[in-house]
Amino acid sequence: MRYAYYPGCVAQESGKELDLSTRWVCRKLGIELVEVPKFSCCGSGFLDEANLTLNVALNARNLALAEKQGLDILTICSTCQGMLSFSNLQYRKPEMKTRVDGALGQLGIHYSGQTKVTHLLEVLARSVTPEKLAGLVVRPLRGLKVGAFYGCHLLRPADELRSESAEEPHSFEEIIRALGATPVYYRGRVMCCGFPILFVNPASANRIAAHQIEDAKSHGADAMATPCPLCHISLDGYQNHASKAAGHDLDMPIFHLPQLVGLALGASPEELGLPRHLVATEAAIAKIGQVAVPA
Amino acid sequence: MPTGELLTIPFDVYRYDPADGSTPRYARYTLELAPHTPVLTALLRIRSEIDPSLALRYSCRSAICGSCAMLVNSKSRLACQTQVGPEFAEHGRIVIDPMSNQPVIRDLVVDQSPFWKEYERIVPHLILDPMHPMPEGRPTSMSPAQVARFEETPRCIACGSCYSACPAVAADPAFPGPMALAKLYRFVVDPRDTASQDRLMRIQPGGLWTCLRCHLCTSSCPKDVRPSERIRDLKEMAIAAQGATERGSRHAVGFKDNIAERGLLNESKLVRQTDGIVGMIGQIPQGLRMLRRKPEILRAPHAIEGQDEVQRIYELLEDAGEDGT
Repeated sequence: MRYAYYPGCVAQESGKELDLSTRWVCRKLGIELVEVPKFSCCGSGFLDEANLTLNVALNARNLALAEKQGLDILTICSTCQGMLSFSNLQYRKPEMKTRVDGALGQLGIHYSGQTKVTHLLEVLARSVTPEKLAGLVVRPLRGLKVGAFYGCHLLRPADELRSESAEEPHSFEEIIRALGATPVYYRGRVMCCGFPILFVNPASANRIAAHQIEDAKSHGADAMATPCPLCHISLDGYQNHASKAAGHDLDMPIFHLPQLVGLALGASPEELGLPRHLVATEAAIAKIGQVAVPA
Repeated sequence: MPTGELLTIPFDVYRYDPADGSTPRYARYTLELAPHTPVLTALLRIRSEIDPSLALRYSCRSAICGSCAMLVNSKSRLACQTQVGPEFAEHGRIVIDPMSNQPVIRDLVVDQSPFWKEYERIVPHLILDPMHPMPEGRPTSMSPAQVARFEETPRCIACGSCYSACPAVAADPAFPGPMALAKLYRFVVDPRDTASQDRLMRIQPGGLWTCLRCHLCTSSCPKDVRPSERIRDLKEMAIAAQGATERGSRHAVGFKDNIAERGLLNESKLVRQTDGIVGMIGQIPQGLRMLRRKPEILRAPHAIEGQDEVQRIYELLEDAGEDGT
């Protein structure tokens, strides 16, 4: 397994722990991550609102960079996954293709439209497989009840993304089970985290985040896990605001997907960047039993 | 699933009658059904064979009238268009609730007035120039390309599934909801309409920019109207026509300018671009909390290799309008 690694902006900055834990897990699983220092931002669902053509062109450049190396792209962010896939489809529309090719052609960039974009969750679920992953677990996460939180852009629109399902996915829960933890099913797992309007309509964003966290909690989750660093910002970074919206302290640890995998495969909390979270993860880790609570 | 096989399916149906003073509850009904039976057919059997007091809306039974929208295992769906087999296979039972985001009148019947109020608010008809009534002065016919711009939206049957599924409506009742915005799009792009700019201006404050782009409206729509994609188009048209006049559009344009500098997002700078210096002050406590754990947030990100290519793409396409012109 060899991919052009697309960490996205947040995992290179405030969500650095996601990049750290991805690298740790991929080393362990023999997934080769090829660095592409020329990759730019995916547009994050904001750039296209300002200028769709520009966004598609930037991503056609990204997709062309991978194509040139004969590699498919591995994302670790639901939004990057969504925006690169969306751009790949937009690029197939004849008028868009003409405009984008016109610009990229001037830079000597050619994209044939063949690059596939895959999220780490899909690689774990379909290529590594939960069975193989379960066989590699050295520290089963027994006793930990985890609510998966998919992130909208990994799932919808399902026909565009060719995702497993728009509203009833299972891959994340299968991974959680393979790691020895217990998946918690709740409606919020496929809902929005509020991030897209966190800086536009913060009161509503905080209510939405609070709602999903409370939903997970009321179904018994000790922790939540997400394959999207933007969901992580909303659910972890701004959980104090969500708590205010809820009227009480939500106290819900939020793991990045590869952090949860890494814990089960034997990484230390430090190797996975867990001390960087704003909501402490120690209590959740303590529930596993086999793991010492970090000082 | 093979035909002929009957499944024993438990239904947990939301029951509530404000008139009798009781609290909402779920009633369990169990039916033997073929897997391809529509949920609506099952509910009508419950009403005719078990409990005639069950209240629900329905009419055509053919996904045309839009009356029977409800929550089927928490998903906004038309009951007549949803088969029991896959729902039972997924959940082991079928839970039926009334639509969300609208008050319950009784059982599965909701008061749709919030939904219709938003529809009225967007003025859902062509606004023509009174000085130049058709046929003179305005085009009376459209080219196939012009019609193609809104070919999906007239399919809407106003069932309310999208309004029920929308988390932005749940969080902020001022948000018009997906259906009203998709309808609005249809009139904004209609070349015969004289009020397109006015429509774009009026919808922005407290309206357009609260959309989360979660696409739950698009996945719940029984007619594939794809409201979330039309809302995206409206946002781009609003910026192209009127610039960054709202916090939401400032965020989008700020994001665009932000990426131009290094090819990657400068997170802390984006807050300033959206909120201005005064707004930044309000973010200081949160910034300090994050800084303790994530010290690098103050540092500007590195520029990507080949940033000159990104800048060149911006130069070539930055002025491209919503339709690329």
